[in-house]
Amino acid sequence: MNAPLLLDRRAFLGRSACGIGGIALHSLLAEGMAMAARGEEVRPEMFQPIAPKAKRVIFLFQSGGPSHMDLFDGKDSLDKLHGSNLPDSVRAGQRVTGMTSGQSSFPVLKPISPGKRCGPSGVWISDLLPWTQKIAGEICVMRSMHTEAINHDPAITLANTGSMQLGHASAGAWVSYGLGSENKNFPAFMVLISQGTGKNPDQPIFSRLWGSGYLPSQHQGVILGAGKEPVLYLDNPDGVTREQRRATLDDLAVLNTRFGEQAADTETMARIQQYEMAFRMQASVPELTDLSGESQETLDLYGPEVRKPGTYAANCLLARRLAERGVRFIQLFHRGWDQHVAITRQLPNQCRDTDQPSAALVMDLKRRGLLEDTLVIWGGEFGRTVYSQGQLGSASSGRDHHGRCFSLWMAGAGVKAGYAHGETDDFCWNITKDPVHLRDLHATMLERLGIDHNKLVFPYRGLDQKLTGVEPAKVVTEVLT
Amino acid sequence: MMRKSPCLLLLLLTPLHAQERLSYNRDIRPVLSKNCFACHGPDEHAREAELRLDSADAALKGGESEKPAISPGKPEESLLVSRIFHSSAKKVMPPPDSHRQLTAAEKDLLKRWITEGAVYEGHWAFQAPVKPALPQGSDLNPIDRFVAATLAKDGLAFSPEADRATLLRRVSFDLTGLPPTPEEIASFEQDREPGAYERQVERLLASPRFGEQQAAAWLDASRYADTNGYSIDGGRNQWLWRDWVIKAFNDNKPYDAFLTEQLAGDLLPNATEQQQVASGFNRNNANTHEGGTIAEENLVNYVADRVKTTSEVFMGLTMACAQCHDHKFDPVSQRDYYRFFAFFNTVGDAPHDGDGGNNSRPSIMAHSCLANETEANGIRAELQQAKAQLAQPDPAGLAAWEKGEREDQAKAGKDFKLTPLIAESATSPNGDPERIKIEDDGSVSIRGGDYAAYNVMCRLPQNGQAVKGIRVEFLPTEAAKGKLGFAGVGGLEQNLVMSTITTSASSFPALNVDLNNSLPMARISASASQEGYGPERLRDTTPTNGWAPPTGSTTPQYLTVTFGRPVDPGSTPYLTTELMFNFGGSASPARFRIYAFGGADDASPHPADVTAALAMDAAQRSPEQQARLEAYFRTMAAPTAALRYRIANLEERLSVLTQEHSVMVMNTAPKPRVTHILERGVYSSPKDEVKPGTPGSLPTPPEPADRELTRLDLAKWLTRPDHPLTSRVEVNRVWSAFFGKGLASSPADFGMQSTLPTHPELLDWLATDFMANGWDVKALIRNIVSSRTYRQTAVASPELQKRDPRNDLLARGPRFRLSAEQIRDQALFTSGLMVERLGGPSVKPYQPGDLWRQISHYGSSPATSQTFVQDHGEKLYRRSLYTYWKRTLPPVSLAVFDAPNREICSIGRASTNTPLQALVTLNDPQYVEASRAFAERLAKLGNNDDSKLAECFLRMTGRAPVEQELVVLRGTLKRERERFRADPAAASALLATGESPRDPALDPIEHAAWTQTCSLLLNLSEALTRP
Repeated sequence: MNAPLLLDRRAFLGRSACGIGGIALHSLLAEGMAMAARGEEVRPEMFQPIAPKAKRVIFLFQSGGPSHMDLFDGKDSLDKLHGSNLPDSVRAGQRVTGMTSGQSSFPVLKPISPGKRCGPSGVWISDLLPWTQKIAGEICVMRSMHTEAINHDPAITLANTGSMQLGHASAGAWVSYGLGSENKNFPAFMVLISQGTGKNPDQPIFSRLWGSGYLPSQHQGVILGAGKEPVLYLDNPDGVTREQRRATLDDLAVLNTRFGEQAADTETMARIQQYEMAFRMQASVPELTDLSGESQETLDLYGPEVRKPGTYAANCLLARRLAERGVRFIQLFHRGWDQHVAITRQLPNQCRDTDQPSAALVMDLKRRGLLEDTLVIWGGEFGRTVYSQGQLGSASSGRDHHGRCFSLWMAGAGVKAGYAHGETDDFCWNITKDPVHLRDLHATMLERLGIDHNKLVFPYRGLDQKLTGVEPAKVVTEVLT
Repeated sequence: MMRKSPCLLLLLLTPLHAQERLSYNRDIRPVLSKNCFACHGPDEHAREAELRLDSADAALKGGESEKPAISPGKPEESLLVSRIFHSSAKKVMPPPDSHRQLTAAEKDLLKRWITEGAVYEGHWAFQAPVKPALPQGSDLNPIDRFVAATLAKDGLAFSPEADRATLLRRVSFDLTGLPPTPEEIASFEQDREPGAYERQVERLLASPRFGEQQAAAWLDASRYADTNGYSIDGGRNQWLWRDWVIKAFNDNKPYDAFLTEQLAGDLLPNATEQQQVASGFNRNNANTHEGGTIAEENLVNYVADRVKTTSEVFMGLTMACAQCHDHKFDPVSQRDYYRFFAFFNTVGDAPHDGDGGNNSRPSIMAHSCLANETEANGIRAELQQAKAQLAQPDPAGLAAWEKGEREDQAKAGKDFKLTPLIAESATSPNGDPERIKIEDDGSVSIRGGDYAAYNVMCRLPQNGQAVKGIRVEFLPTEAAKGKLGFAGVGGLEQNLVMSTITTSASSFPALNVDLNNSLPMARISASASQEGYGPERLRDTTPTNGWAPPTGSTTPQYLTVTFGRPVDPGSTPYLTTELMFNFGGSASPARFRIYAFGGADDASPHPADVTAALAMDAAQRSPEQQARLEAYFRTMAAPTAALRYRIANLEERLSVLTQEHSVMVMNTAPKPRVTHILERGVYSSPKDEVKPGTPGSLPTPPEPADRELTRLDLAKWLTRPDHPLTSRVEVNRVWSAFFGKGLASSPADFGMQSTLPTHPELLDWLATDFMANGWDVKALIRNIVSSRTYRQTAVASPELQKRDPRNDLLARGPRFRLSAEQIRDQALFTSGLMVERLGGPSVKPYQPGDLWRQISHYGSSPATSQTFVQDHGEKLYRRSLYTYWKRTLPPVSLAVFDAPNREICSIGRASTNTPLQALVTLNDPQYVEASRAFAERLAKLGNNDDSKLAECFLRMTGRAPVEQELVVLRGTLKRERERFRADPAAASALLATGESPRDPALDPIEHAAWTQTCSLLLNLSEALTRP
């Protein structure tokens, strides 16, 4: 390790908003895509009392609030209760959004589709998700997730940054900050966005969901888009070739090296490396998005939409390719799960978009040996109400938001396969066993990466900020092997 | 090496002189605060064993054990010492499950402090600053006396003064945000009289750019943005407040007035219009109009943000921590928090407000404080000239345009074949599904007016023929009274207005259009159009703009879109079209049918009379026809667009200078809300009612018996001379702008968790002097930039870098990367593209694609700013502080350089170094265009390569290149010339970047080679650095 450079990097960081001593050591290292670029291992021992099970995370974020009782938590009781009014004793004073607070009755709506008991756990999975049914033996369904938020903005912000308040760092940024990059051709945290066909346009999403908050901005997620320029500003200007760019960068490096040495400016020396990485990205990103090397069988596995850039299917395949290339945190955002209206039409469409590609990703990772050190998470910001929003049975009816319980699934990285965790009551309204808060999910995710969530901190505004926030969080050890 | 680093960090916190007596504030409190106060500090709810270690009395008394935790001078009798050294995991403090751990050095430190007598000190930042005596020394500037004294203790001395080129670049960026011009550099170099540097400083302080540069940082702190932030994130208009900030800095408004007007301008006696505008500071918070959100929760969020911002920006106090519980570290109780909250809870704002681009209440109409008649007159003259230019006949331009259009018309209708499509699905995301009906003939009918986006999916005919485009035919219905739509707007009765049309093709039946794969629209035509609603309006995604058939039509009218590339029905048999009717006023269609077509569209993109006139020889046209054609050319044709943009921009500017515009302000509601303490900060758990007040641990304001305290009382309290925080926090913030970090390193947190200032006496001297000088901001800045400390070279020996890596001791000059705004502004300025206008509405320069639409609620909401509509003309070249700030997707090329999203207040930016930054300055069209314009500027200097290279180098770095550098650049130029000579088409392609016109007389090969060379110089690390 080049000591003066390391010291200077700290000096450099010391000027940041958060200032003195505020930057944990490992961040100085994680800092260093420049250092990673020199092939130096940057594992922060001080934050890894736990042997890591996961090298990376693929978070398949389903934005809008997938309906838990329609997808993963269907039960016979709902058939019997269908049409009856949700008793006040069950509702337990739960606040409801402004969208149904004026409703005079709350009739129970049973799952819109039948389902099956699947896999060793016998977990119920809807027939709307036939491919997910097939991987029931690989996944752990968490049926007892909960959140305080009942509206999208705070809920999705909590699910992705650990807080309903604005200004916090996203989970991916925390992981980038904590562990740095595992490769020298891509950023540590990449984001892929798709629109659901269930509802379009759905609720908006925000760059804060992959933002760096108070962490240094290089930890923010970089969007891998679908256009001809997947990373913004990646392409040379028209008329400029790669050879030309190479030659220009060589000249630039000569001039910069001279200046860096004369002015004793290590920032400049680091910048030369950043320009080199930019040049490498110009090759590595097109190579990433070029699917010509994928077999027909693999493409078929992800389904018919896989060849169309920007679809969820294409993004799932790219997630695997990013995982292979050592990207630390890969997050998909898929919109369209907000079924307030026309749930019987919209939800099957949403499922068709996502079911096969999600399952294909798990299968594909598994057969390539990547699932054992990749944590895959599928889920959204909350669930939906068991009662019908709008008249029961009307084609235009749907379900409102519900934070008291909802379902998601995880796979890989030593998470129990073919397992179901937590239970809800007959109404899928309250949790009856093993509640898991979103911050427990974050703690568990960090644990898989070998990080103690209480130790991955960033001092800011007088507080040791953490992804899991100030309330106690616990690792869900019951779902881990 | 790596593992030792935390110890190095600690070294900086510990006394540099081992034998010096320990200081509670400097050495002990940081250790206790970090490790002990969470359980044994000010938060009584979290307190363990009734023990408090943050006050001497309590620590001496001890907790529930009733034994003293600290016995001064007697470590062996101090429970604290025995517990921190305890070997049992059950007994040792802090307990292992707290995840806190004292190092051996910290334990020794605590023990030694108790041995020395355990003297507590009040927290430095909560004691009123007292002007310290100046240290002895020869320096005239008091700043230098303090810095020199600290340096002397460490056996260090100032570094030499930076050379003039460096100094001028440094101070020019710091004061105006722009680099010096070659003329300014020469004038400084040639000025050998005493006071040369001071003269430069005065020139820069007097520049109107000074206010722009200082405002940029204030916009971050005050979370200024152009959108509402939460959820749908629609547009707002708050730029009048930004104008106020710029002018306040330029006028050198004393800081106490600057603070008072922003916190309470509306409450000042006989408040002026501009004082009310200033109060908009506390309306910069994010808000929402979304109906599903809960009113009380929204209002609590809005006020909580005002507390957070006000306390961090003006007091350096993180009061937000006390929203849910007593502050863990600082003496701010939850009651204190809600008393402070009560100051801002009296405003008459609404929980759901600000839709459709309208400002949320309360807002007023006001003039820009930057309006001035001189500029307005100049604009009027320019406008007159531009309009005259547009009115001027342009036979050559017209003839060239006519030729192109005739060629287009000649192709129209060739092999044209229409195939009606059967709609298989027709949906609207938020509309009532029962309203939409697919008729037996495959057309779609809508029952009644709506505000919606209709997504229609059709199967394409499998006849092996490529689909060149679609036609949408609108049909009359009885429900629409025999007309085409339901509009109830004057002049558009029973009509429709389509805002946008977007189409994608897919391999499966996609019910919604795929924005990632929307088909480009090469040509749009209509059977006929309502005046002012031509088909080309569909290219602009602004909701209030669109295509309409002639009002009153009773026969079918159609719109035809030719795709940029044909669709192959074999691989993508499904076509989904989204027809967006965002105009409002129920301007949605009654019934429509979609056709696919092959061949070339048979309709004209122009109105019928224009099409007819175009088809004729000029000689055959009647004078009326010729006049009509010329008028159409002037008002609609592509070649005159640039001039029309210019006129529109000038008209907007004139309106900025002469008209009233809306701005959000503070007021007092007729029936102000009552403030309660909220348990755990939750809006639905109100506890005790509280009245406005300031934290009890700080000096208290006089509380009048007959009324409650107001924001004006708060402002007066903050600006009292004995307030310990206000002045210190501001001088520290100002200092950090010039040194890259503050004397106290956490500018928004002067609380117990903050580290001690590196130069506490200097900070106090500056703070007291600032107040004594009448809070004179320019005087403070003049003092800083004139100091020897500031003027030192940043070049340091490896020994010094190693010894003081963060430059805490200030033995060298400050050097850092330019800010996001400065990097872009420099490129615009040096290339000559920049259009400098002070103030005004935000602008939308280049941004790739429509990133906003990818994440927004477009089509479901009348909110503005759901799609990105790029500006043209001068608005592409304004200074970056005027760039439109959408909070949920801030300007990407600025965000890459660490600009925050402005959802919340942020003070001071990180300065990172990433590959994405390289991609921006190398490839963003804004920078490529700047390189092209720069090259054109150089071309005017003649043919001497070396002198042109030197000029470019000078503008970008502030110094002349040396021979070694010229050798490299000559090589670049030679290589690029050869490259473009071999491929002239590549030269033309490169030169086509950007919308500014290029001088066609320039040799493209030469111009392209120089463009590349300028791009290289724009990317020099030195050019990105403020030295």
